[in-house]
Amino acid sequence: MQDFEPKIVAFVCNWCTYAGADLTGTSRIKYSANVKIIRFPCTGRIDFMILMKAFENGADGIIVSGCHPNDCHYSTGNFHARRRWIVFRNLLNFTGIDTDRIQFSWVSAAEGFKWADVVNNCTKKIKELGPYENYNKIAVSTLFNEEGTSNE
Amino acid sequence: MSRIGVFVCHCGENISATVNCEKVAKITGELKGVEFSTDYKYMCSDPGQTLLKEAIKEHKLDGVVVAACSPRMHEPTFRKACAEAGLNPFLCEMSNIREHCSWVHPKDDLTTEKAEDLVRVMVEKVKKNKALKSIKVPVTKTALVIGGGIAGIQAALDIANCGHKVIMVEKLPSIGGHMSQLSETFPTLDCSQCILTPRMVEIAQHPNITLHTYSEVESVDGFIGNFKIKIRKKSKSLDEHLCTGCGLCTTKCPQKKIPNEFERGLGFRPAIYVPFPQAVPNKPVIDRENCTYYIKGKCKVCEIVCPTKAIRFDQEDEVIEVEAGAIVMATGFDVLKSDYFPEYGFGKYKDVIDGLQFERLASASGPTQGEIRRPSDGQVPKKIVFVACAGSRDPAKGIEYCSKICCMYTAKHAMLYKHKVHDGTPYVFYMDIRAGGKMYEEFVRRTIVEDGTHYVRGRVSTIYEKNGKLIVKGADTLMGGIPIEIEADMVVLATAGVANKGAEELAQTVHISYDSYKFFAEAHPKLKPVETNTAGIFLAGACQAPKDIPESVAAASGAAVKVAALFSNDELTRDPLVAVVNRQAAPVYSACVGCFLCQSVCPYQAIEREEIKSRSGEIIKTLARVNEGLCQGCGTCVALCRTKAIDIHGYSNQQVYTEIMALLND
Amino acid sequence: MNDMIKKVTQLLTDKTIDVFIGYGKGSADRSRAIFVRTAEQAENLVFSANCTQNLAGYLLKHEVKHLGKLGILANVAALRSILQLASEFQIKDGEVLVLFANPDGSFTEFLDFHSIEGYLLTTETGITSGEQERIAALEAMSVSERWTFWNQEFEKCIKCYACRAACPMCYCHRCTTDVNQPQWIPVASHERGNLDYHLMRAMHLAGRCVNCGECANACPMDIPLNLLTYQLISPIKAGFGATAGMKSDAVYALSTYKPDDKENFII
Repeated sequence: MQDFEPKIVAFVCNWCTYAGADLTGTSRIKYSANVKIIRFPCTGRIDFMILMKAFENGADGIIVSGCHPNDCHYSTGNFHARRRWIVFRNLLNFTGIDTDRIQFSWVSAAEGFKWADVVNNCTKKIKELGPYENYNKIAVSTLFNEEGTSNE
Repeated sequence: MSRIGVFVCHCGENISATVNCEKVAKITGELKGVEFSTDYKYMCSDPGQTLLKEAIKEHKLDGVVVAACSPRMHEPTFRKACAEAGLNPFLCEMSNIREHCSWVHPKDDLTTEKAEDLVRVMVEKVKKNKALKSIKVPVTKTALVIGGGIAGIQAALDIANCGHKVIMVEKLPSIGGHMSQLSETFPTLDCSQCILTPRMVEIAQHPNITLHTYSEVESVDGFIGNFKIKIRKKSKSLDEHLCTGCGLCTTKCPQKKIPNEFERGLGFRPAIYVPFPQAVPNKPVIDRENCTYYIKGKCKVCEIVCPTKAIRFDQEDEVIEVEAGAIVMATGFDVLKSDYFPEYGFGKYKDVIDGLQFERLASASGPTQGEIRRPSDGQVPKKIVFVACAGSRDPAKGIEYCSKICCMYTAKHAMLYKHKVHDGTPYVFYMDIRAGGKMYEEFVRRTIVEDGTHYVRGRVSTIYEKNGKLIVKGADTLMGGIPIEIEADMVVLATAGVANKGAEELAQTVHISYDSYKFFAEAHPKLKPVETNTAGIFLAGACQAPKDIPESVAAASGAAVKVAALFSNDELTRDPLVAVVNRQAAPVYSACVGCFLCQSVCPYQAIEREEIKSRSGEIIKTLARVNEGLCQGCGTCVALCRTKAIDIHGYSNQQVYTEIMALLND
Repeated sequence: MNDMIKKVTQLLTDKTIDVFIGYGKGSADRSRAIFVRTAEQAENLVFSANCTQNLAGYLLKHEVKHLGKLGILANVAALRSILQLASEFQIKDGEVLVLFANPDGSFTEFLDFHSIEGYLLTTETGITSGEQERIAALEAMSVSERWTFWNQEFEKCIKCYACRAACPMCYCHRCTTDVNQPQWIPVASHERGNLDYHLMRAMHLAGRCVNCGECANACPMDIPLNLLTYQLISPIKAGFGATAGMKSDAVYALSTYKPDDKENFII
């Protein structure tokens, strides 16, 4: 278990958290390499199914991050996202999916340090929790490659 | 089968110091569909871009991934290069292996592997990219300038002189801003009013400028080229067309003891007032909070004396709607309030004042007609202490930054004091003297050498009153930290420049970002200093960070040029990364079922109803349709749509799905 | 009962409606939905305590819709379905003739959405105490126990989509399950795909479910699917002040927001 390097996917908005993560880089603040970012225009764009797909494909943890309330580049995308996460988190919890493995955060373009903290704390937590075996087990037991996205 | 090209940038050593770029290029070159891969020292350089263009042509690439810095930095660069090589620019993606990888991780295999992962994700994504055409939208060639200080004035005049219309909104009854409060300006000591008032008048008289004073921006909708702004014109209780500005009302108003904001409380004004004699417009407003009529229901002296019957007690606020293609934020700054300095007795001792109050004392039009007299008893202070960095560079006060203008104005204050009080002794407590700027250092030297100002390097710990004197306690760090105690007659604090009260709310209203100090944030600290992250909204002056006059003016002119450049075209080209509703053949027409739950999530009212009609005109189906001129591409509707009937270019369902698959299934 | 047969006969005869969706006799002592198009067929209408199905699910079915102007015998859940569908622009006011079966056996005709809204405010619309207890029992379990519980349930799913067909809110022509570019929901009925499907369905019904229970009734494998969406009803009501199917012009809970929506998990 000591060698466990969790796979953590971060779904972030372009305007705040992506820029905040850029600032983390510009400021040369170090964080764990386990986290890899996928860019979205806004947290409002992040469909709940995207989170399901991440777990299904072997993510041990997920970070979802965007602009602080009132700071959304599109005014209200993060407010809609927040409602969606309130409901979805409820549902995940009710179906026994470990919501500790999903970290939601607001990280602004000015919060380079906060981004590093979010990533490092999340990595630490996921390392303690270990691989997401429950989900991985059902994911693996049925892997008869049908990703469906044909490559033209 | 795709023909993707992968270009891995070393960024000098910024990337290659921790990421094995050759390896990344080699490994990702083996991915399915990758036709060509290479690494290069500087992809963004001219030879780097040439390399990219030639590879596109030579290998007939139909997709490009540049693994380099943040796409927020160079995505436009590489997309442009692709376009020049004949590849649709939207078939180019960037992997951020610098900010998100090489700079944040140590040199090891994991870092290189992460870079490979990030490139693989983009290779898979770009396979799903579609060639897109830019969207053209019309431009309203009117600029909105918010704030009528020197920055706003400069920006407005520059834009207006380019032949474009300008709407200026100023919160106070007059334009002029902080500069109109200043006595003389460093480093030339020319009179602030003398150089400012002609420009204020020019604003009022310019045929291209519409001025709304005593007004505030209430809401901003729309987007670059097409903003819709609601402006609340607060009631002045006055018919401005009738008022001639004779000023009779202001002299007859029985309510005369209202602390004068313009004089920073060092003087008084009536309830109906013009903020200062050179105000533009030179017409009064009634301060309803202090007006006897509004408080007690009777008085109306102003109405009685007014020769043109211009007073309107029942006038209400008016909300007007204007359209503009660009917005310049020029809302300026404020100085720290007194309650930040209990240890200095600011607010408690009348003779502890701030820099702006000193400006008023030194001003020929100020409450003392330019004589330096202390507020408590009107005596001329013989010993005066200036405290620089009052709040600035002080993490304990929550202000870690340097307010930048204080070193210079403190030197100026000491100099002005010496010029007016020949037998006086000025002291300046400072941390460092920051006098970078044309003729600035020379100016400070003059203050010290010619005017004999005592500069003491050290912080003031406390100020208290004893026998009518202000005891200033500090230490001289250049003398080994020996304690210093000065019995002063007056103390001037160079209080930190801070963001305006309400800056955060205003930023939220106009939809721009701001930093942790609530100053408005520029799009790039070096290369886009007057742009915000919101297209079409620009920054001028001290609303961005403390700035002196020359800097504010330069920034304002910079912002004006950006506006003029935007207005130089009749149409604006926008990235086509917008939402689109799926359409298919009859009888289904679309996967959209017309539930319109998406309609209320759209911040831009971009989702319209489209009726599919039969030949006889009967409505067969009502679908959602995205107005691509209004859509800004947030994608909130996409995430909400149950049937996946709405998708968004650039972040399509296919693309993000593929990204997740590629990232997790290595 | 005769009142209703008389009423429906008259409605059909004077062409007020073309078809009436009501209950007929099913196998054993069960009832089933019947589509009455003539006066003779009206004689087959029945009504008893067994007639609990939410018939509103048929209103948007292509096969039914094309028969002409519809009338329906509604229960409380069907009334709520109609209002919810109205709020989603699927039914216009006056488009469907609504007869409501009162508890005392008499029938009321609702002439417009407004009167339905008024009636619903006076009647019990929530989930049953039995359902509440089942949810509470699940909530009392540990996360991993719940995982095991649902995993065992979803394992049974054969992806027949009967739940989707029975649900009055699942009226999309193209369900996410039918999308194959990308294939969000795996086609085969393995555990992973089943979990995907049921989570997706529950999310799509969050704030829209009118707790009629047709999904669970329709399930041939007896999966308590209704609990998934029922469980979300109270947090949506408590958090956002929204209940599905109570107003014909309601704004969908997830299509709006309040700047101060409360949560405790975003750092």
